[in-house]
Order: sequence, then structure tokens, then C-alpha cells
Amino acid sequence: MYEFTQMGWLKHVIFHPVEGFEDLRWKKQGSIKIAMIIVFLLFVAMVADRQLTGFQFNTAYVKVFNIVPLLVQSVVYFFTWVIGNWALCTLFDGEGTLKKICIYSAYALVPYIVCTFLAVFVSNFIVQEESIWMNAISYLGIIWSVVLMVQAMKAAHQYTFGKTLVSMFFTIVAMLLILFLAILLLSLFQQVYAFGYSIYTEISYRIRG
Amino acid sequence: MAAVTAMTMTLTAFADEPYNSYNYDSWDDAIPSQSAYRVETTITGAEMKIDRLRDPADPLYMGEDAPLTLSEARDMFCYEDDKEIWIADSKNNRLLVIDTDTYELTAVYTGVAGSSADGFNSPQGVFVTHSASLDKKVVFIADTENSRVVKATIKDNRTLECVYEYTKPTKELYTVQTFNPKKVLVDKAENVYCVVNAVNTGSVLFAVNGDFKGFYGANRVQVTAAVIAQKIWRAIASEEQLQGMKRNVPVEYANFDIDNLGFIYTVTEQNIDTDAVKKLNPAGYNIWNNVRGNNYQFGDLVGYMYDPVTNGNHSSTLTDIDISSTGFINVLDFETGKVFQYDKECNLVCLFGTKNSTSDQRGSLLNPSAVETMGNRVFVLDSAKNDITVFKETQFGKYVHSAFMLYDEGRYVEAKADWDEVIKRDGGYTYAYVGLGKAALNNEEYNKALKYFKTAYDQEDYDKAFKYAREAFLRDHFVLIIVIVVLLIALIVTKNILKKKGIKIFRKRSKPKPRRISGGEGEG
Repeated sequence: MYEFTQMGWLKHVIFHPVEGFEDLRWKKQGSIKIAMIIVFLLFVAMVADRQLTGFQFNTAYVKVFNIVPLLVQSVVYFFTWVIGNWALCTLFDGEGTLKKICIYSAYALVPYIVCTFLAVFVSNFIVQEESIWMNAISYLGIIWSVVLMVQAMKAAHQYTFGKTLVSMFFTIVAMLLILFLAILLLSLFQQVYAFGYSIYTEISYRIRG
Repeated sequence: MAAVTAMTMTLTAFADEPYNSYNYDSWDDAIPSQSAYRVETTITGAEMKIDRLRDPADPLYMGEDAPLTLSEARDMFCYEDDKEIWIADSKNNRLLVIDTDTYELTAVYTGVAGSSADGFNSPQGVFVTHSASLDKKVVFIADTENSRVVKATIKDNRTLECVYEYTKPTKELYTVQTFNPKKVLVDKAENVYCVVNAVNTGSVLFAVNGDFKGFYGANRVQVTAAVIAQKIWRAIASEEQLQGMKRNVPVEYANFDIDNLGFIYTVTEQNIDTDAVKKLNPAGYNIWNNVRGNNYQFGDLVGYMYDPVTNGNHSSTLTDIDISSTGFINVLDFETGKVFQYDKECNLVCLFGTKNSTSDQRGSLLNPSAVETMGNRVFVLDSAKNDITVFKETQFGKYVHSAFMLYDEGRYVEAKADWDEVIKRDGGYTYAYVGLGKAALNNEEYNKALKYFKTAYDQEDYDKAFKYAREAFLRDHFVLIIVIVVLLIALIVTKNILKKKGIKIFRKRSKPKPRRISGGEGEG
């Protein structure tokens, strides 16, 4: 019944929040390539929000620009979400595969990205008194994306609505756990490195005499 | 050649101030700045020619054992009309008067004739004004250990004559056992305000006839975690426990000053956030409260002042305040020995003085206790070094002051020349760009204004300028915009008509879209 291009499918799921993802799943559609582009655009949107927002609205500390936090907030968070959700829902009868979760989640983020770009654009033409327009756009993006995300997860795992919400909540818990462990691992490796390096210095001093 | 270079180097070397000037930018980061004041001289007993007090031939003769230095002098007052500095030489129980040009002693007073106690006992505050009712110069002395404030007229350079003594109020409203006035101040109606030891309900106010009128301008309790915790404990504690608890009372203020318009400014030593510096209107209401979205900050902004000696961040302890005749507010920080100068709107103009360097150096203070201004000079009294450091305005300071004065009066365009000079000397002086931006805005040079406000990172003013700039842009390009809009509408309409009639202007690409078979988009 539905025969779209890949971009057509993306448009379809965004503008049909109720049925879109079910259709996508039923037709076994969705492109990982487009999903990756979306994740990249999410990162770009974050950067744009920080750097290109109109001067009168920009609260960022402009003296330092560090891209790593932005990268973490977009790309790393996204993949942690995907992995966390997959790990959790596999255990709880979710039907979604890792690839599916990745694609569906990315598709659901599109309104947020688009609205962020729009808000950044608008912010360059309005004054603080009119900031309600900018805020309305960004809130619209956030709410739309949240609705889509719930639908995406519901379709991916074939859950009921309630179970979807619960699974999403615990996905966030899982994300925190993953990030905590990752930081732990990082600091551990850093200590191993520091240990190795101190041994190296010690030996090199001894050799030099 | 090398010798010549070496010589010029020695020639251009000069003794710099032992402190670094800085100012805060829009992020409250400290940015190095030029010195607006430099040390001119220090006044010790020698400069005052205080040994005259031991010379029997001199009219100022006091006695063979008259102390030749100041000792724990607590207060200073600059009476600009007669170019005098009055010093409350507390531990020596005397008042010294020196000339502001020669810094030489002109008068010395050890007591007030015709009062309850002849000699002073640790006088810690002095205030001089012209009394309209007596049509004479009158001196008010907070004679701390004698528990009185004396109002006196000047007979000659050795004797004061008592007019009135303000002593401990007998009314029940005054609950403190002692009456030890530390500082005194008089307004135009000759009401007397005293900061009294252990009175935390504000300054004690006397009417001109000596009636106790109550308290004026109490501080509030600074809300800290401990105060909140105690509030919670109080709610659940029993009567006995309540009695054993400490009460949260506001701290008394350390000092105050009055400006030409009759506003009273107070400083409080212990508080940082709440009521550190207040500007009180005649009703005792603090104009500089941070309730309505304002953010008045005084002293070093906490968290940014790292002290390598104590290895910690320190907070300011503001101990004295002085309003100059030109309206600049000088606040003396006991903790760092710095004088912070603000304009009428509480923007930091400059700062100078230090405590970190060795206190033997000029410009470095040990125990600063009072600050006064006179013309382009600032005097800081040091009660441990027993001297007065005289700071003199530099050329940079002159331009900054002139610019701020014009700016605060709203004469932005006239201030422009001064701001330009300021920027020439210190390109990082944030407020200069705000000033220039406002001048440009007044001249309707919106793009220039936007540029300046952006440099200063002043978002509020940028927003205002942006509004005007946008309006101007729309006005200037109105026709063009209308033409574009009309063209666009025409384009869409014709396209729709053509589509309806099935006429194609642009030929579609010959390659048909591969996947899209039916146009069944949507719910169809």
C-alpha cells in the first residue's frame, strides 16, 4: 500500500505520529544511512544552537569553545540510548533489533533538530521581547520529538503504551549506568597508564644512573 | 650600543604600584586594567610636622610627651570647604586637623570645653559640617569610651566648645546596656546618626534637639545554610531547647556616609550577599536591594579572588565607604586593602591598593580603617601603619571619571571623547564600549552601536539597539521587501494556475523516480 522513497518514509513517520512507525515496521523500511546522517545533524544542531543563536539570546560562555561536551551530549547520548534500550528491551520481550532501535530513534529526533535550526534562525531576527516565538518553536520541536520517540519505541518493541513509558524510563537509568561504568573504566585505564608510565620513568632514571 | 640600551632602560624604569589593577568583564572575569590611581605620598607624623606639639613656642603645644605618631586612628573626615582632614587619633585620645595641600598640622583637640568629660576617651568617629542653625562649622565626635556624641563648635585651633552632648537614650526602645558610638553622621536637617557598638537594629537616630528618634536602616539577616537549618530546628524544638539556641540577628554595619542629596550609604563587614553596601533613602529603605532582578555586587566577586598566602578564596570585608563630591562611591575592603570605586549606578570604575605585598611598601596597606576623597585624591587611613596613603588620579583615571560623570548624567555623546581616550589606554575596559555604544545609539548609528555592545558583551543594550536597527532596516528597504513578497506570491499563484491547466514550463527530469509507484501519500 505505502510505497515511498527512503526520504518519503522519513516524512511519513514524522507527519503520522500514530501510525507512522507501525507502517515503517510493517514494510520493513528505514535506512541506517539516513539515521546516521540525522545523528550527525543532531550534533550540528547542538553546535549551531551554541554558536549561531542571535547575540541577544546567546548565554554561552564565548571565550572557550569546547566541542567535546557537545559531541557527548548528542552522539554519545544517542548511542547510549540505543544500546541501553536494546539491552533492556531484549530482556523484556521487546521485538526491536539494535538496528531498528537505532533507525527509529534517529527518525524520531528529526522534529527536534529541525526546530532547533529554525529557532536559531529566528533568534537572529527578533528581540528579547519577542522571544516567545523562539521558545514556542523549540518547545514544539521537543514535544513533537518526545511523542515520536514514544511511538517509535512502541512500534519497535510492540509494547503497550504503558510498558513503553516504563521501558523508556528504565532506559534512562540504564544510560546512567552505562555512562557511569564507562567513566569508571576510563579512570581505571588512566591509572593503569599512569602506573606504567611511572615504572617507565623509574627505570629510565635507573638506567641513566 | 648595548650601553645606550641599558641606560635608556634604567632611565625608563620607575617604581610601579605594588598592586595590579583589574576590572570585571561581562562574565565577572577579572581583566587587567590600567591604574586609575597611583600613590602620591604617605602622610605620617613627620609629614604632618607633628613635633610642633612638643614645641613650647608653638601655639599647638601640647606637652613634652605628646605622641609623635598616630595610634590606631579609626576615622578620618575630609571637610572640603575648608580643605581640612580631620583625623580621630583614637588611642592618643585626640583629634588632629591637617591641611589637604601641605598635609601639615593646623589644629589639635584633646577634649571639648564645657562638656561632661573634658578629655576624649578613644574617639572613633568624626564628622564635620556647616550648621545652618548656628551658621558655623560644627564638629561631631563619636567619643566612644565616654559613651557620648559631642556636637561642638570651634573656638581656636586648640579648643572646641560644646554645643550638645548626645548620650545613651533613656527610652525603652533602646535595649542595649551600653552606648558606645563608633561612627557619626549628620544630615542636612542636623539629625544625628550614630553607629553604636552592639546595636544591630540600625544606626541610632537623634533629632537636632537631642531627642532619641529610634533606629534607622537595619540590616537583614543573611540567609545561609546554617540559618535555614536553624529555622527548621526551631519549628520542632521544645521551649527549653529554644532558650538554649542562638538567635539569628543581623550584623551591625561598620560605617556609613552621606551624599549631597541626603542618601545614606552603609557598609557591613561580615555580609557579602545581603546588604554589604546599602543606599538608604530617607525612609530607611535600601535602594540597592537585589529584589527586583537587579544584581548589585560589591568588593571582589567571590570565587575569583584566590589568595596564594592563605591558599583559599577570600571574601571582601568592606569596612568604610565614602561618597566623593562628584558622586563616585569608594568602598574600602579591609581584607584585601583595596579601594573599590563605583559610579552612581554601582558599576566598578576602578580599584587600587593592596594588602598582599609587603606593607612597608607605599600603596600597600596593613590595617586600613578609613577612606576619604578630596578632588582627585583619595586618602586611606591605616590604623596599624599609622599613616595616611594619598592616592592621586592618573590621566587614565581622569578620563574614566570624566566619562562616567557624563555617562551617568545621560550625556552619552559628550562622553564619547573621554571613552575614546580610555580605550586608547586600556582596550579591555568593558564599560567604555557600553558608553560608546550608547553614544552611537543616540546618534542613530545603529550598526556601530551593535558592534560596540557586542564587544562589551552587553546583551540588554544590544537588544535595544537591535530593535532600532531592525526597524531602520525595514524602513529603508520597505519597497524592496514589498516587491519581493509580491513577486513570490505572483510566482506561486501562476505556478498553481499553470499546474491546474496542465502546462509545464520546467520539464521534469527524464529519469522517473524509481521507487515511487503510486502517489498514495497520506492516509489514503
